[in-house]
Amino acid sequence: MYIGDTSDGTGLHHMVFEVVDNAIDEALAGHCDEIKIIIHADNSISVTDNGRGIPVGIKFDDKFEPKRSAAEIVMTVLHAGGKFNQNSYKVSGGLHGVGVSCVNGLSEWLKLLICRDGKKYELEFQRGSLVNRITEKQNGVEVSPAKLIGETAKRGTEVHFLADSEIFGTIDFHYEILAKRLRELSFLNNGVKIELLDQRTGKSENFAHSGGVRGFVEYMNRSKAVLHSKTFHAFGEAGVVSVEVAMQWNDSYSEVVQCFTNNIPQRDGGTHLTGLRMAMTRVINKYIEENDLAKKAKVETSGDDMREGLTCVLSVKVPEPKFSSQTKDKLVSSEVQPAVQEIVAEKLSEYLLENPVEAKTICGKIIEAARAREAARKARELTRRKGVLDGIGLPGKLADCQEKDPALSELYLVEGDSAGGSAKQGRDRKFQAILPLKGKILNVEKARFEKLIASQEIATLITVLGTGIGKEEYSAEKLRYHRIIIMTDADVDGAHIRTLLLTFFYRQMPELVERGHIYIAQPPLYKIKHGKEERYLKDEQELKSYMLSIALKEAAFYPTEQSEGIRAEALSEIARQFFVAEAVIDRLSSYVFPEALKALLTESDLAIDDEKQTRRTVELIQNACKGIIRVNLEKDEAGENIICLERNLHGNISKTQMNREFFHGMDYQQINQISKTMSALKGANSFVFRGDQKKTVIDFTQAIQWLIDEAKKGVSIQRYKGLGEMNPEQLWETTMDVKNRTLLRVKIEDAIEADEIFTTLMGDIVEPRRLFIEQNALGVKNLDV
Amino acid sequence: MSSGKPPIVTCPTCGKEHAWNSSNRYRPFCSERCKLIDLGKWANEEYRVEQREADHGAPEDLQA
Repeated sequence: MYIGDTSDGTGLHHMVFEVVDNAIDEALAGHCDEIKIIIHADNSISVTDNGRGIPVGIKFDDKFEPKRSAAEIVMTVLHAGGKFNQNSYKVSGGLHGVGVSCVNGLSEWLKLLICRDGKKYELEFQRGSLVNRITEKQNGVEVSPAKLIGETAKRGTEVHFLADSEIFGTIDFHYEILAKRLRELSFLNNGVKIELLDQRTGKSENFAHSGGVRGFVEYMNRSKAVLHSKTFHAFGEAGVVSVEVAMQWNDSYSEVVQCFTNNIPQRDGGTHLTGLRMAMTRVINKYIEENDLAKKAKVETSGDDMREGLTCVLSVKVPEPKFSSQTKDKLVSSEVQPAVQEIVAEKLSEYLLENPVEAKTICGKIIEAARAREAARKARELTRRKGVLDGIGLPGKLADCQEKDPALSELYLVEGDSAGGSAKQGRDRKFQAILPLKGKILNVEKARFEKLIASQEIATLITVLGTGIGKEEYSAEKLRYHRIIIMTDADVDGAHIRTLLLTFFYRQMPELVERGHIYIAQPPLYKIKHGKEERYLKDEQELKSYMLSIALKEAAFYPTEQSEGIRAEALSEIARQFFVAEAVIDRLSSYVFPEALKALLTESDLAIDDEKQTRRTVELIQNACKGIIRVNLEKDEAGENIICLERNLHGNISKTQMNREFFHGMDYQQINQISKTMSALKGANSFVFRGDQKKTVIDFTQAIQWLIDEAKKGVSIQRYKGLGEMNPEQLWETTMDVKNRTLLRVKIEDAIEADEIFTTLMGDIVEPRRLFIEQNALGVKNLDV
Repeated sequence: MSSGKPPIVTCPTCGKEHAWNSSNRYRPFCSERCKLIDLGKWANEEYRVEQREADHGAPEDLQA
């Protein structure tokens, strides 16, 4: 006799389920639609159904003396219930195959109340034996009928029992354990109303879950983010086997599949689950293949990929099912597998065809899972490469430093072999190590190239860093250099490689960024020779201010012949304002035509709030841009003025505009500032001096242009296209020598930004990618070290 | 890291948003799985950037 463990509570609760299953059998046979379970205050349990009532007639073939009623036999003889006879119930559950007699045997007392054919009968038992037996003679035979206690209009059976505490130790029932199984049963037996009432606490619940297994699946997914609203549902019969299955995917990675045979759960699946899996794998793979869904992802989907995020209830009803053990954890009936396979294959194909949106979503999830599986495999391959984990045998291309203390050591990651060679020669080998990294270039289309870091290079990098990679092996503590300096060309391609490396560090070794181990070298972009002076300048900005300082040397501007000359600091301040405004115009020129913006420099305090202001502004732009740009005044939805600019270039019409906000914004303020200054400097006969040279000019703009042109005459500017153009000494002097160099320390915010840029670069969205390339931006804030 | 609120980052693999938190050992990813997928992509040479000037030496490989 098996009724589960008597000490941990499973057996105790199974007592209830055994009784409920009898009622469910009545429901399955179509005779019952209401079941009520009460946990009484004394922990006794009653289960009432509105079925036909257990038969009470005398079994004349009973060998027992006196001959007993059918009800008594059911309650006292093992394996005597209707469920053990295929003719009584076509299919039948029963948790552990022992029937309700087992429950009776394990109860201190049990009262059976039967309403049948208008009459009410009662049978009472103690520890499995009938008490208060009545005997009488029927047709001369000694019989023991059920006790008739009255008339009733109702029908059904009530089993009320108190589990034997001597056997179970504790007989404390857990509401939740009962509720969970009853909920299950209400889903699996569509339409049966099951009520649970706990008189100890007053808690009660009505399980009237319609929707069958589909409702069950949706209930299980209720707090998950589901990927498709229309749940797959199939019902069908093949021979004597009936199959019902529902499936819905959510965004998680775990699978929840519940299998039932005749309402009994199978923890370990079995032939029904095998049939489901085979049908799913075949049908979904076929669909993916026929619709070319996995082509782009270049993966093959497997049955396992289909399990991620799947919630599924599979319920089969089989006469005389076979299980691998008495606990029915696994179904072994062989006829079930082809039945499930056939029904699921047919219905799932239909579902995919009829619901293309759902089909695409589900297949997308499955392909994603396949890609994840593939990626994990590749990642494992990478970590198993020689040297990546053991750290022994540093790669030959590394020029290591003599210093062994990581805190004092630096590693330069240099793109390109020639620059790597220069760096190796120019470095201070005492504490500077060099690792040349070679980007791999692929020709993806005729004129399009892509660059990447080969996996071998990544493996090399990890080996050199010493940190290892992956969940188990990675440790930031093992870092061999506390300064990792990324040194790439100062052009767009260099910026791309730098972004790629930063993204790798940010994603796979974020601690290195957090702890401030990652730096960016700042190689100069220009070399300037002015007389005997030689200078390296890191960017356009530095070049401009350097040129300005030369241009303004010994320079003076005279707005009129009579006025005082403006020179030195005063002149440089005006020039600074001028260049700020010019930079603003330059930046805005992708949104507004620069000609129109430059027009704004000629007058100050412009606005378009009222009629008069607007007319003045429009006329100003019209006059300045005559023949180039058409200027129209329009209104936006809010009724505000907008200046619309239209340019016709060989039939290509482009439009830009200036709105009210623009004139109130920071950008215009900067333009306005210099236009004010310049209008104050307007004179009839302006001229400018530089040393002993003099030039008559119409305004300040012309003056500054002349000064810069003059300055350029004595200066030679060399622009470095790449690190490779510098010789080892220059590279050392400008970029590696601690005394001169400027390093940018990468902060986590910078790395996040790099990651975003990278994501944009990787993405299919063309516009932000183009914008990025134009701006060539990697906003690393300056931090001198 | 600067003081103040931790930055909100999106998991590079699945796109879920979460706050940067050093107790999440898989940061900036949301999970071990997402981080592993990313590593797999590096290993599989899936991460590429556009190369503007092809004059940095001839392309090594002509595969698409």
